[in-house]
Amino acid sequence: MRCRDIEALWDETRGICERSLKAELATHLRACPHCQNLYEECEGVAYCLACLPPPEPACDLARRVLEHVALLRLRMRSDPVVLTSTRTPVGRLYVGFKGQRIAYLGFDTGGGFDSVRARVQQRLRRPVVRGQAPEWLAATLDRFFRTWRVDDRIVDISDLTAFEQAALRAAATIPPGQVRSYGWVATQMGKPRAARAVGRVMARNPLPLFFPCHRVVDSSGALHNYLYGLSMKRRLLEMEGYRRAQ
Amino acid sequence: MSALAPLLQGAFVSPAVRPARAAGKRRVKGAVASVETFDAIVDEYQRRLYGFALRMTGNREDAEEIVQDAFVRAYRALGKMPAEQRRGLRLQPWLYTITLNVTRNRLRTKRPSNVALDALTDPDALLKHSDERPARPETIVEQNADVAAVEQALLQLPMHLRAAATLRFIEGRSHPEIAEILHQPIGTVKSHVHRAVRILRRILGPQVGRFTPQGAPTHAMS
Repeated sequence: MRCRDIEALWDETRGICERSLKAELATHLRACPHCQNLYEECEGVAYCLACLPPPEPACDLARRVLEHVALLRLRMRSDPVVLTSTRTPVGRLYVGFKGQRIAYLGFDTGGGFDSVRARVQQRLRRPVVRGQAPEWLAATLDRFFRTWRVDDRIVDISDLTAFEQAALRAAATIPPGQVRSYGWVATQMGKPRAARAVGRVMARNPLPLFFPCHRVVDSSGALHNYLYGLSMKRRLLEMEGYRRAQ
Repeated sequence: MSALAPLLQGAFVSPAVRPARAAGKRRVKGAVASVETFDAIVDEYQRRLYGFALRMTGNREDAEEIVQDAFVRAYRALGKMPAEQRRGLRLQPWLYTITLNVTRNRLRTKRPSNVALDALTDPDALLKHSDERPARPETIVEQNADVAAVEQALLQLPMHLRAAATLRFIEGRSHPEIAEILHQPIGTVKSHVHRAVRILRRILGPQVGRFTPQGAPTHAMS
C-alpha cells in the first residue's frame, strides 16, 4: 500500500471491507507517521460531523405538513370537475366545469373520454365525472370564436399555482391576432428571467384558447411549439387574423 | 483545534442508533407507502429530513419550508404513482432525493450568503446532549462555539460535496444508499466524500485528528 492510497481508502476501510485490506492499512499506518496523522484527521472530521447535535424541528412542523396534506386530500374528495364534449369551429373540444365556471378545455386528440378524464384528474387534482353541457356553453363558445376574448367570470384557474395563474393572466393580455415572446410574458409578471418556466406553464395550460398560450412564441418570432401541435397553433393564429411580418 | 474538545467530550451518539429514529423505523418498515399511510410517514421522517435540510441550508426557516414542500411533493407523487411502483419504492432514499431537489431549487434562487449561523446552534440541544451533569455556563459557550465551527465549515463546502458529506457522516448512510439518493455512480460518491473530507480537514485544522470516539488513535484497529 502506498501513502497516496491512504486518503482514498480511509472511508472504505471504516465499514465492512476485506480483512486483508484492513490489515494492510494497519501495517502501513504503524510504519508511517505522516499517514497516521492524515488518517486521524479524516477520522476526526467524520467524528466532528457525527457529533453535531441532531437539530429539533419546530414542534408544529408535522402538524403544518399534515394540515397542508389534509387540504390536498379534501380537494381531491370535493367538488368534482364535470366533463363534457362539444363541437366548435376548431373541432371537438372537451370542456370541464367547476360549478358555473370552465376549468378545463382540451382538443379531442382521439384518446377517448377516459384518457381525457385521467389527464384532467392529474392536472387539476380533482375527481372528474361525466356530465351534460350547460345551456350557456354554446353561446359562450360562439361569442369566443367571434371575438377571441372570454369573460373572466366564466373561467376558473384557482387550482393552479400562483405562478401558473400569473403567467396565464399575463398571456391573456396579448390582443387577438398578435403574438408575444415567452420572455415578454415573464417580464409582464415581474420575473424577467423566468421565460423557460413560462414555457412550461404554457405547455400545461388547462384552458388553451381562453388563456391564449397560442399567442406566445419564441423571441425570434418562430411559433416554437404547441400543446396540440404546431399546425393547430398556426391555424388558431390565422383564424384570429395574425400575419407574420416578412 | 483544541477548542473542539468540549464538543467531543459529549456522549457520542451514532446517527444510526438515535432512539427516536430507530423506534419510528419499525412502524413504516414493510408497509407499502401510500397516501393513506402518509401521516405515519411524516411522523417518521420529519426529523431526519429537517436535519438534512438544515445542514444543507444552514437556516431553520428555510429547512422547515423545504421539509414542508418536500412532503407535499411526496404526497402528490404517491397519489399519482401506480400501485406496482409504490410496492417497489424505497421510501427513505426517495424522500431524501425529493428533499435534496427542493433544497437545490431553493438555494439556486437565493443568494449564497444567506446563512444564519446564529440560528443554527441551539443551546437547548447542546444541554440535552452534554450528558447528565449540569453544564457550567462557560462549557455551554465553548461547546456552542465548537458546534458553530463545524457547522460553518460544512456550509463552506460546495453543495454537491456538502450533500455527500452530510449523508455519509451526519445521516450515517452507506455509499450505495448515497449513490441512490444522489443518482450518481458509487465511485463519484466516494470521490465527493473524499474531497469533502479533504476540504474540512483544511478548514478545521490538523488538531481535528486528535479527536476520535475513543479519544485514541484509530489506526490501532486490527
